[in-house]
Amino acid sequence: MRRTLTLALLAAGLVAAGAAPGPAQAPRAGGTLRAVFGADPPTLDPAHATDTTSSAVIRQVFDGLLELDERLVPVPALARSVARSPDGRVYTFALRPGVRFHHGRELRADDVKYSFERAAKGKRPWVFEKIAGAHDFIRGGAAGIAGIRVVDDLTVELRLDRPFAPFLHLIAYDAASVVPREEAEKRGVGFASHPVGTGAFRFASWRRDDQVVLERFREHFRGPAPLERVVFRIIPAEITRFNEYRAGQLDLTDIPTGQCRAVQNDPRLKREAAVWPTLGTHGLRFNVERPPFTDPRVRRALAHALDPTLVVERLLEGCVHPARGILPPALPGYSPEVTRLAFDRERARRLLAEAGFPGGRGLGPLAFHFNTSDLNQRIAEVLQAQLKEVGVALELRRLDWAAHIKLVDDGSAGFFRQGWIADYPDPENFLTVLFHSRNIGAAGNTSRYRSAAVDRLLDEADQMATGPARFQRYHEAEQAIVDAAAWISLYHYASRALIKPYVRGLERSALSSAPEFLAPLRKVWLDR
Amino acid sequence: MALLPVLFGITLLVFLLNAVALGDPARAAMGQRADPEALARLRQEYKLDRPLAVQYAAWMGRLARGDLGTSFREQRPVAEVLAERAPATLRLALAATLIAVALGVGAGALAAARPGSALDHALMGVAVLGISTPVFWLGMMLALVFAVTLGWLPVSGYGDGALAHLVLPALTLGALHTGTVARMTRSSLLEVVRQDYVQAARAKGLSERVVLLKHALRNALIPVVTVIGIGLADLLVGAPLTETVFAWPGLGRLLVAAVGQRDLPVVMGAVLVFAVVYVVGNLLVDLAYLAIDPRTRRGAA
Repeated sequence: MRRTLTLALLAAGLVAAGAAPGPAQAPRAGGTLRAVFGADPPTLDPAHATDTTSSAVIRQVFDGLLELDERLVPVPALARSVARSPDGRVYTFALRPGVRFHHGRELRADDVKYSFERAAKGKRPWVFEKIAGAHDFIRGGAAGIAGIRVVDDLTVELRLDRPFAPFLHLIAYDAASVVPREEAEKRGVGFASHPVGTGAFRFASWRRDDQVVLERFREHFRGPAPLERVVFRIIPAEITRFNEYRAGQLDLTDIPTGQCRAVQNDPRLKREAAVWPTLGTHGLRFNVERPPFTDPRVRRALAHALDPTLVVERLLEGCVHPARGILPPALPGYSPEVTRLAFDRERARRLLAEAGFPGGRGLGPLAFHFNTSDLNQRIAEVLQAQLKEVGVALELRRLDWAAHIKLVDDGSAGFFRQGWIADYPDPENFLTVLFHSRNIGAAGNTSRYRSAAVDRLLDEADQMATGPARFQRYHEAEQAIVDAAAWISLYHYASRALIKPYVRGLERSALSSAPEFLAPLRKVWLDR
Repeated sequence: MALLPVLFGITLLVFLLNAVALGDPARAAMGQRADPEALARLRQEYKLDRPLAVQYAAWMGRLARGDLGTSFREQRPVAEVLAERAPATLRLALAATLIAVALGVGAGALAAARPGSALDHALMGVAVLGISTPVFWLGMMLALVFAVTLGWLPVSGYGDGALAHLVLPALTLGALHTGTVARMTRSSLLEVVRQDYVQAARAKGLSERVVLLKHALRNALIPVVTVIGIGLADLLVGAPLTETVFAWPGLGRLLVAAVGQRDLPVVMGAVLVFAVVYVVGNLLVDLAYLAIDPRTRRGAA
């Protein structure tokens, strides 16, 4: 018999969840939570979502084998327990008995296999590619993913090609939600607008560009949620969301751009304002294959010439934190030791001269690409002014997202804005995705950065068991990338939310961000 | 009939504009992290791997059979996607036009009754404001005053079709239009009252009220009706902005989002609807001439 270890982190998660310092009051049942999105969700199908708006609904309607708790630790959801083989390659999930889908049928282990295979052919195949045989299946050769084995009705086993430390984070991700085969097949593409899962809320209605309505699912395996209904209004203008909130028509929303300080000083709103760090970094990237950015001295000169505190203080009103490295402080595995290239104009000038562009002469105006938004425009103007100080002229190229991403992906943009928000809380999701040479291009490494040493560090770390030795490798890689100035971090994202005082139990995890809260709404109740 | 070449030209133009615009619907649908194989599969699914001319011909071929194609983003028939949003925009445009006609003609007639008076100046001042105020700003201000501060009307949303939800968006969208109609009514009325037949009506001893409303206004309305027809274009232009400010689930917002996603079938479909509305609207204006001005009837015969 194979010896297995029950994961310590799961156990820790369970204990902590039981002892979490919650409100002394018992949750009050009933009522409708009025939440809001800035855009219509493109889909409600976990296999096809690629955006947080879709995920915010999907997380309420579906469950996965695992989910992340408030501290971003994977804890059991549809799985009652999970065991990992000593070599870190086989995970065995024992499902909870008696879990029901919204249409009444009981969950079985083959639903898990079906859901994973279905999603592996969707828009986020990378979630499943660590499972043995996934690649053959996705490419169309194999009939199924060989590494997914249904042991019995309540046991499913996942086998990996090689150990992958953040694997359980992938399983807790909403792309790995479990869907009922007969409903998904019956509805086909219509499943995206009529989702059926096991989640604490069942889909009720969706009027496009107006609202999505969910209703409490009384037979949820954790028992009925306190909220009776959740209404997600879809309001594209942030000022309109703010007005709806002030008029008492929304229970939570985001703080509009430029209002962060005003809201925090407003006698009525300051009690309702909440700002917390999230897992994202706003950065600038170079395509290191494109002259003059092939020369690290040019890239480093630009990095030394930029002072992110100006952007943070003036444009973002101090509601975010200037970045040192690439990993955000809220991410497990973050290291305060990683340092950015210091703001030092003298050094920038020296580096430019060394590269053959004394005082910026001979460099010509450099194009800076960014996607359309007022904030991005203002940031670009600050960068333009700062680089002018060292003799570098910046030409601003503003394009909408679809056009911007095209130029970035195909390598024709040499210097561009790019933000990154974690899919799951692990350094691998930043560093390997964004800088490993195998991910060059649209897969994430738009810097086209190629370093054998960094690749090796990342490959090692990705396979190692969680712990300080693993994180140490990421820090080394991160510092090397920062020093090579393949990426210049500006600041780390924060969620800026307004939440009515009677909304209780809404988790403010680093993965949850206004207005599209990804927090489990089954824990939310209304104290009024 | 002139309608078909116009529509053909418009679809071709939109298709070509999209072709020269950067960006790829498959990539736009993938989020930031795009798996190369999934991307290739999606491109194939969207049939983007075929030459442009073939894509356009295929679209026209389907259109000839009454099929607007399938939305890339929503993977549903475009006709279904449009049908969901069209009623909201139609209601909004209709209400805005009604407001423009009622308020515009009323204000114009009032101003023309006492040219040069304080009331005239005040009304025409407001009309100019209506014409020159950006839709976005006006919508925000109206919402701030009547919804947030006074609480009389909802801030935004469709509200399952409740009339209260329609008031502010319709006022916002109709404002520009109201201003032009008011100014046109006034100047047209002032011109008409100098005509001989109006003098004759006065000489018959009819009251000024009857002269203005019965004899002058009817004739003065001909250029006003023209303005209403032209103003349809303003309504269509203003719709995306108004719908955005008031979170109104209409075609304008759909079109803006579809352009952002490079969802070409939806863009083509929405533009086609707008074009048809515009052309048909102006056809109705021509018919209105017949109703107002008997001379055009004789001319047609």
